[in-house]
Amino acid sequence: MSHPHNADANHEANNAAVMAEIKKVTILLSVLTIVELILGFWMIGISSAALRLAIKGVIIILMMSKAFYIVAYFMHLKHEVKNLIMTIIVPLSLFVWFIGAFLWDGSSFKNLRNTYNPYFKEQSTIKVEKKESEHGAATHGAEKHEAVKHEAGAGEAKQKPADEKYY
Amino acid sequence: MSHEAALHNHEGHGHDDHGHHEHHDTFLTKYVFSQDHKMIAKQFLITGMVWAVLGGLMSVLFRLQLGYPDASFPWLESILGKWAKGGQITPEAYYALVTTHGTVLVFFVLTAGLSGTFANFLIPLQVGARDMASPFMNMLSYWFFFIASIIMLSSMFVETGPFSGGWTAYPPLSALHDASPGSKTGMDLWIISMALFVVSSLLGGLNYITTILNMRTKGMSMTRLPLTIWALFFTAVLGVLSFPVLLSGLILLIFDRNFGTSFYLSDIYVNGVGALSNEGGSAILYQHLFWFLGHPEVYIILLPAMGMVSEIISVNSRKPIFGYMAMLGSLFAIAILAFLVWAHHMFVTGLNPFLGSVFVLLTLLIAIPSGIKVFNWLTTLWRGNIRFTPGMLFAIGFVSLFISGGLTGIWLGNAALDIYLHDSYFVVAHFHIVMGVASMFGMFAGVYHWFPKMYGRYLNNSLGYIHFWITIAGAYMIFWPMHYQGLAGMPRRYFDFSIWESFKQFAELNRFISTVAMIVFATQILFLINFFYSIFKGRKVTVLNPWESNTLEWTTPINPGHGNWPGEIPEVHRWPYDYGKDGHEFIPQTTPVGEDESGTH
Amino acid sequence: MSTSTTASPNEAKLWGGGKSPFNLEYGKVMMWYFLMSDAFTFGAFLISYGTVRFSTNGWPDSNQVFRSFPFAPEGVHAPLVFVSIMTFILIVSSVTMVLAVHAGHNMDKKGVVRNMILTIIGGIAFLSCQAWEWNHLFHEGAWWGANPFLNADGTASSTNFTNFFFTITGFHGFHVFSGVLINIIMLIMTLLDKFEQRGHYLMIEKAGLYWHFVDLVWVFVFTIFYLL
Repeated sequence: MSHPHNADANHEANNAAVMAEIKKVTILLSVLTIVELILGFWMIGISSAALRLAIKGVIIILMMSKAFYIVAYFMHLKHEVKNLIMTIIVPLSLFVWFIGAFLWDGSSFKNLRNTYNPYFKEQSTIKVEKKESEHGAATHGAEKHEAVKHEAGAGEAKQKPADEKYY
Repeated sequence: MSHEAALHNHEGHGHDDHGHHEHHDTFLTKYVFSQDHKMIAKQFLITGMVWAVLGGLMSVLFRLQLGYPDASFPWLESILGKWAKGGQITPEAYYALVTTHGTVLVFFVLTAGLSGTFANFLIPLQVGARDMASPFMNMLSYWFFFIASIIMLSSMFVETGPFSGGWTAYPPLSALHDASPGSKTGMDLWIISMALFVVSSLLGGLNYITTILNMRTKGMSMTRLPLTIWALFFTAVLGVLSFPVLLSGLILLIFDRNFGTSFYLSDIYVNGVGALSNEGGSAILYQHLFWFLGHPEVYIILLPAMGMVSEIISVNSRKPIFGYMAMLGSLFAIAILAFLVWAHHMFVTGLNPFLGSVFVLLTLLIAIPSGIKVFNWLTTLWRGNIRFTPGMLFAIGFVSLFISGGLTGIWLGNAALDIYLHDSYFVVAHFHIVMGVASMFGMFAGVYHWFPKMYGRYLNNSLGYIHFWITIAGAYMIFWPMHYQGLAGMPRRYFDFSIWESFKQFAELNRFISTVAMIVFATQILFLINFFYSIFKGRKVTVLNPWESNTLEWTTPINPGHGNWPGEIPEVHRWPYDYGKDGHEFIPQTTPVGEDESGTH
Repeated sequence: MSTSTTASPNEAKLWGGGKSPFNLEYGKVMMWYFLMSDAFTFGAFLISYGTVRFSTNGWPDSNQVFRSFPFAPEGVHAPLVFVSIMTFILIVSSVTMVLAVHAGHNMDKKGVVRNMILTIIGGIAFLSCQAWEWNHLFHEGAWWGANPFLNADGTASSTNFTNFFFTITGFHGFHVFSGVLINIIMLIMTLLDKFEQRGHYLMIEKAGLYWHFVDLVWVFVFTIFYLL
């Protein structure tokens, strides 16, 4: 164990240190969250794509540091044996390629669709009337899409067949 | 303090809880809801064997169709009913058979049956533990697998048939109820079964990892572990990290099937019905998620076989394994690379070609650790004093198949070649040899080698030799010609090739393959007879250590009880591969290092 | 112990067998690796969300979607406010969990009970907030397969925004729910003096690991759905 438990005095001092650490991490997490929220509020009014991207990057960094503090202090990983830390960190590093490859292929799929699927491209340029009342009657997305598709001239009935076989 | 108390508790764990209580066991607690890792291993093995027979039988049935597309077999109708109207398998039944064959063999036989059996059996015995870290979770692991089995089995008896869209369950075939008969209830049962299987493998895997890390006996440092244990360790790591991704993918699939979402569905137009309302999803996403599991799954199947083969080859060559640390490093490298290469299954799905080229590079890197392993096995055999036991023959057979199948992997790993070879019989030949048959050989090797420890009796050797020679010759005769068929463009998953002029030349060859497949299947029945006969009537083991092996499992009594060692767990003083050292034939791990002994590895 | 390994004596002592190399009992090691596994489940969900978002031209602006507040008068929009309250509830419940674990270290039963109760209250409060938000979104027309919101640029949005939102927050909520259940069981066991008899509160530590993991996942879910 990382805590020496032998002497009572030692124990008391250790106790105080642990409480201080908990306090410190709590404040840190709160501050990080508040900074995130401030950035989030700030972002509402910003239309520059580059700046938004930069803010999002900062938010992701803040998110990662929050995750670090929770894992390291609340979950106590920082005070565990180094080898245990390694067995957690090394497999987690697989996420780098997991995320990278998935998102890479995701954006590639978007480019493919925009290039070879004119309907997809067209659909994402047609603006839809905005609802006046936000708390009004429930609007189903599907209905809205139908309207769009009719505008785009797709023309087919968009209902999913009930029980017909179509293979 | 608090923590130490718990830690000390664990040292005697298993011993205190379970040691020497056999006389209290009822039939139910000893054979059914057993918490003894050895019994759970046998449960996994026998359930796996049942599935292997069923899965093998399915392959015989669809090979019958491929080999004799024009013939009709009235007896088929009496077995399969409406699935073989007029004695000929219907296309729907054919696809269902192919799908279930794949699912069952990959997950139930070669994952649960192979690593479930040998991880359970060997880990506590070879690391020197009374039982698994959590025997109760271990039992749950088997019973989740059992329920998954029952659900998969029941899916074969629903009116619309089992799932028939391929073992990979790509949407839209798996996501739309109306896509095919098998996409209805059969698919729901398939998903439920697989979800339970994920739970089973998670419970098992956590136990294997924890046992290997925490429960090693005194002196058993990580570098003194037999390679079997290392291989099973990485297998468990792969399972614990990759199966959850499949679970996520399947949960999204359930929503697509039943709750009107379109995670995987987009722009589907059906003749006579019109366009479906699904939009914005990506079928490729499912393939990514599936293969993020699917590729590590290949190694979940292969690594246990590799580990057992390393051990068996070393024991029966009477030589230390060549390059123990290199074997370890290559296992580690394979485990890491397993997670980085999944998209090489997807080169023709519309994957970004530049991303594909990265996957080509990473895929070809696997050749390095694989090559290291192959050369180490060969150099272990080199100038060894080889004992050709049936287990050893199957181990050598594994090496042969792994080389043959691995070399075609280098072809398929290249995107440029894969675009031509994808979904052809070349692929079928490749993965059956390198993963399917090779791992079966690893499993056979393990069963022949550890049968004396499992049941206290020997398997019949003569039957073992017949089994081996027919199986290895048959495996090559079945799958070698498929390479040529694939190169000629013959696609996999087709019901009937006789209607294509270009594939008519293969009619004869297909019949040959089918005939051999049936002979090989019959030979496996011979093995089953040998297995079950020997459990009860086989020659009794009379010595503790029949193979003169160094590892700890042979220091237990011939029929070890729950708790494995009657007295203290032996302490370990050396690595497990001291064969032919300093003039000694073998030096068990429990022997202290002598004063004048030469240095270890 | 006469070893022939070349590793440093400390290393050899840790890894030499006969004890846990991590100085942890098996249950805690198992919990850690279970959480690793669960991290991949959540990771797969969130990465799928990212992949679909990257493969789509437009996406709804979260500030337009999540801007309601219980009991707020009609027309008052307060983006981010409600979710920040949810986030703080979870952080605070994580802190009380740490305090419970710490009290367990000191064999302080009273402290454990007090902090476990606070943690459970936090968990239930979080779940209630989530229930309110789901209910509110449902009445706005959002559900699996139905998306009433437009993309940020005013074009029609695919249903995947709501599909992923409900699936992932639902899966997280399920984890919170099971965490609350586990915590209640731990509380009962504490009250029954189970851990006093065992001489250690390790079970509380394991429940704590799980609870912090749930909090950790929320850090990611919160950031990805509400801020990015």
